[in-house]
Amino acid sequence: MFSNSPIKQVIGRFRQRIFRTQPEDTLPHAVTHQRVYIVPTKRGFAFSLALLLMLIATVNYNLSLGYALCFILSGLFAATLLHTYRNLAGIRVEQIKQFDTFAGVNATFLISLSNALKEPRHGIKISTKEGSWLMTPIGSEDTTDASLTIPTQKRGLVQLGRITLQSDWPLGLWTCWSYVHAPIRSLVFPKPETDPPPIPSSTIENGGSRSTPGMEGDVSGLRQYRPGDSIGSIAWKSAAKGMGMQVRTFDSNHSPTNAILSLEKTRHSQTEKQLSRLCAWVLEAESQKGQFALHLPGDTLASNCGEIHYRSALKALALYGIDP
Amino acid sequence: MISHTKIWHRFLPKIGRAPTTAGMDARTLYALATVLLLVQLPHILHLPIWVSLTGAGLVVLRLLLLHEPDRKTLRFLLSPITITLLAAATAFLIRLDFGYSIGRDPSVAFLFVLVAAKFAEIRRASDATLLLCLAAFLLLTQYFYSQTILSALITIPAIVALAYALSILRDSDNPAKNTQQIKLVSKLLLHGLPLAAVLFFIFPRLPGPLWSLPEDAMAKTGLSDSMSPGSIGEISKSSEVAFRVEFDGPPPPTHQLYWRGPVLSEFDGRSWKTSKSMMETGPRHQDAKGDLHHYTVMLQPHKQRWLFALDAAISLPKSDYAKQINSGFQTSTRLLGRLMSDGQLIANKPVSQLLRYRQSSILSQTLQASRPPPLNTRSLPGKNTKTIAFAMSLRNNSTSDMEYANSVLQHFNRDVFRYTLKPQLLGDAPVDEFLFQTKEGFCEHYAAAFVVMMRAGGIPARVVTGYLGGQMNGDYMIVRQSDAHAWAEAYIDGTWRRFDPTGFVAPSRVEQGLSAALPDETTETRFARLDSNWLRQTQLKWDSMNHQWQRFVVNFDNDSQDKMWEKFGFQNPTMLQITIAVMSISLAWSLLILGRPKRTQQHLPHNEKLWRRLCRLLQGHQFARVSNESASEFLTRAAVRWPCQENRLSLLDKEFSKLRFQNINTEDTDITRRTIRQEILFLGMRITIARLKPRYQSGPTSIA
Repeated sequence: MFSNSPIKQVIGRFRQRIFRTQPEDTLPHAVTHQRVYIVPTKRGFAFSLALLLMLIATVNYNLSLGYALCFILSGLFAATLLHTYRNLAGIRVEQIKQFDTFAGVNATFLISLSNALKEPRHGIKISTKEGSWLMTPIGSEDTTDASLTIPTQKRGLVQLGRITLQSDWPLGLWTCWSYVHAPIRSLVFPKPETDPPPIPSSTIENGGSRSTPGMEGDVSGLRQYRPGDSIGSIAWKSAAKGMGMQVRTFDSNHSPTNAILSLEKTRHSQTEKQLSRLCAWVLEAESQKGQFALHLPGDTLASNCGEIHYRSALKALALYGIDP
Repeated sequence: MISHTKIWHRFLPKIGRAPTTAGMDARTLYALATVLLLVQLPHILHLPIWVSLTGAGLVVLRLLLLHEPDRKTLRFLLSPITITLLAAATAFLIRLDFGYSIGRDPSVAFLFVLVAAKFAEIRRASDATLLLCLAAFLLLTQYFYSQTILSALITIPAIVALAYALSILRDSDNPAKNTQQIKLVSKLLLHGLPLAAVLFFIFPRLPGPLWSLPEDAMAKTGLSDSMSPGSIGEISKSSEVAFRVEFDGPPPPTHQLYWRGPVLSEFDGRSWKTSKSMMETGPRHQDAKGDLHHYTVMLQPHKQRWLFALDAAISLPKSDYAKQINSGFQTSTRLLGRLMSDGQLIANKPVSQLLRYRQSSILSQTLQASRPPPLNTRSLPGKNTKTIAFAMSLRNNSTSDMEYANSVLQHFNRDVFRYTLKPQLLGDAPVDEFLFQTKEGFCEHYAAAFVVMMRAGGIPARVVTGYLGGQMNGDYMIVRQSDAHAWAEAYIDGTWRRFDPTGFVAPSRVEQGLSAALPDETTETRFARLDSNWLRQTQLKWDSMNHQWQRFVVNFDNDSQDKMWEKFGFQNPTMLQITIAVMSISLAWSLLILGRPKRTQQHLPHNEKLWRRLCRLLQGHQFARVSNESASEFLTRAAVRWPCQENRLSLLDKEFSKLRFQNINTEDTDITRRTIRQEILFLGMRITIARLKPRYQSGPTSIA
């Protein structure tokens, strides 16, 4: 209730206006002049201080050419301000594409910036709170992409957060930046358990859930070599290409159909470990194109298969217990 | 793991480590080195040779280290300790060389070495920043010594290199080629130029210095406050410009151009000096009629206090601006100097910059004395006994002072005296030796001998130094050091009368100048004087350019500013006016460079603009469109929010879909658009009213 006080609101609006603390920008977003900040860099400050000293010396000795030199350099300083500003202002953030990921793996966001000017835009740096990336020059009337990564630890949602577009082109005397805070977030699925037990299935008992490197059936894909796999199933061709030891998997005759996955079946007590195992099972099922149903408290997916089903299963796991 | 023996290293500053190439890449280093060498170049002319060599050497050594990073000797030479010691040693040597250390010139010399030393041990980007700032300041200091066209031209590449170095320093991995970078920074500089020009013309100039550091009198060629046999001859060898003159009318003939400089009355038997006690007088001849001339002198800085004027000056030197406002504004003209009792013009302060002043003279042989001749114009020390005896005999044969003076002049004419720049050296009794043995000399020999003879005859007399003649170049006259001259003045019949004994020995010197009198000896000045020589023509053109340069650029001061404001129609603009002028010009400049601000919606189709207008309106009332919502869905949702506007919203929806999806003719399109515009307007008003209404009706209860 205190947070609703008018002063807080005013401060909040002020902060939002200046620092873009809330994700309220909609894409595509054009960096307009109201949203561009520009200040001298350290080097710019040093340069202007040197200019001031030079001007004092010039005034003292009344050197006409000294005035000319000081003012030419001041003109350079001022022109650099305009060019630094123009390099950033008017840039458009066309879209930010998010790529969902598993916990522990970096979440990737593909940001595409477009330039409507005839001149290319140089040296634009995109920063998030996790790091910064230098963009290649954006050509005239062109669009350039950059991928930002954010490390993830937990499943759930990861916010891209506020990004800063910044540049000190062309001379490094001024730095110019603008904040863009769009509600962009990506799903983080639970980290799949590394060596999960077989999928508990009502119809298949004999470990058919593990894709068996065998000799029968059709080749369905490749997976990492595990101790115990038969040597005959190793994909030597891909090993020779330097892709590591992989084994060919075959569609087993018994596909794990109608498995019902739920928290209880994982035989873990901790929620995260349960989810982690479930995630591994979903992946397992996906690699075998098997059917399964997912029963989570409050969320139930009917038995199904296919890309969309797997995805919604993973999403359900990622968001289990989290209010989006 | 850190070994235990090395732990103490952490507590010591990192001494003895040569800069590694890791910190600074080759491209940055080369860019910085270019800046330094270009900045150092103009200083080589005035610095002691060893300072220049140290400075340039350090830069070259650092570049060598870049290519041979493992050379032990180089690493040792450029280690911070060596550099520090070197800088300290240089400071000490500079003190020895200049004789003092707190002053302008030693400071410049030290800065010169310091900048190079900084470059030699550069490691980080922040070092480079400091280095560039120091280099910019060093670039400025060259103007202490010279503000010619050449020094302006030599600055241009240095400025470009400075901007280039900044661009490289920002990002040395920049894939752009050097030529592209240079193009870029040149563009930036060009864009900055208009602003620079405005600032140059508008920035208020202060008339006096804020502080002054001791300046050492540079060994300048030119007249000095003393004269001994041979000193004027030495000056005459230089063809340097002493001053330039613009006459308001036609210039007087050469033989009347006696430019009065230091007056030397004190004599010690060998050399002549200005008298220590001088008295100020007002200008005389004010009402005298005669050959009146008004002119403007542009005096090259000679670090002395005397000014030059044609004999005899009838005005005090005034600032140039006096010419424009001759009538009415007399009070605003600044007086630049005073007139002394011996006829010298003395400036208010030593002339250390180009000085432009107005002067008026009446060409006259005589100078009215404001007071009786001082004692030192009669004294005659020294061993010139033969001269005195000879003078006495001449004096006894003449009836009047004037006749005596003429007979002395006749003596120079009658005897075989030779006019030469290279006379034999004279000993302790120079006048005796000159008159009776060597019989050859330059103007100072003749002037000195004449004055000694006069004083021996009991007539007060003194030596006047200055310049005689000048060369017309277009609409102005060049007076060079080679025109330096010495003549005599004797006090006869209550006035000081000019006598030039040189004219009796070498009349062509007075009539046509030095090169006509001594065509074989004046080798240095021959180029300047020879007729119909293209070199001479080029030189005169060059001088003319220099003259314009000095007049309009170097000499741009607050007077010129006043003149400029007047031209634009502002008489004495206030600070506010100047500020407004600068601000508006800067604004125009910014807009010009940024280009017209682009409207992001300008290229949108007309229908889209209208739709956006509606969306903006609803957004203003906290009703935003959700993604994946079609236009009609959005409007239907809006109708739920504002039930009273349901009809209007559905009409809008219909009209919009008509515009979007139906092929209607232009006339119908216009009507539809007009309807939409109208409806949006009404909608906005209605919603606003609806929003305000409950607040008035329900009172404070609704807030809770």
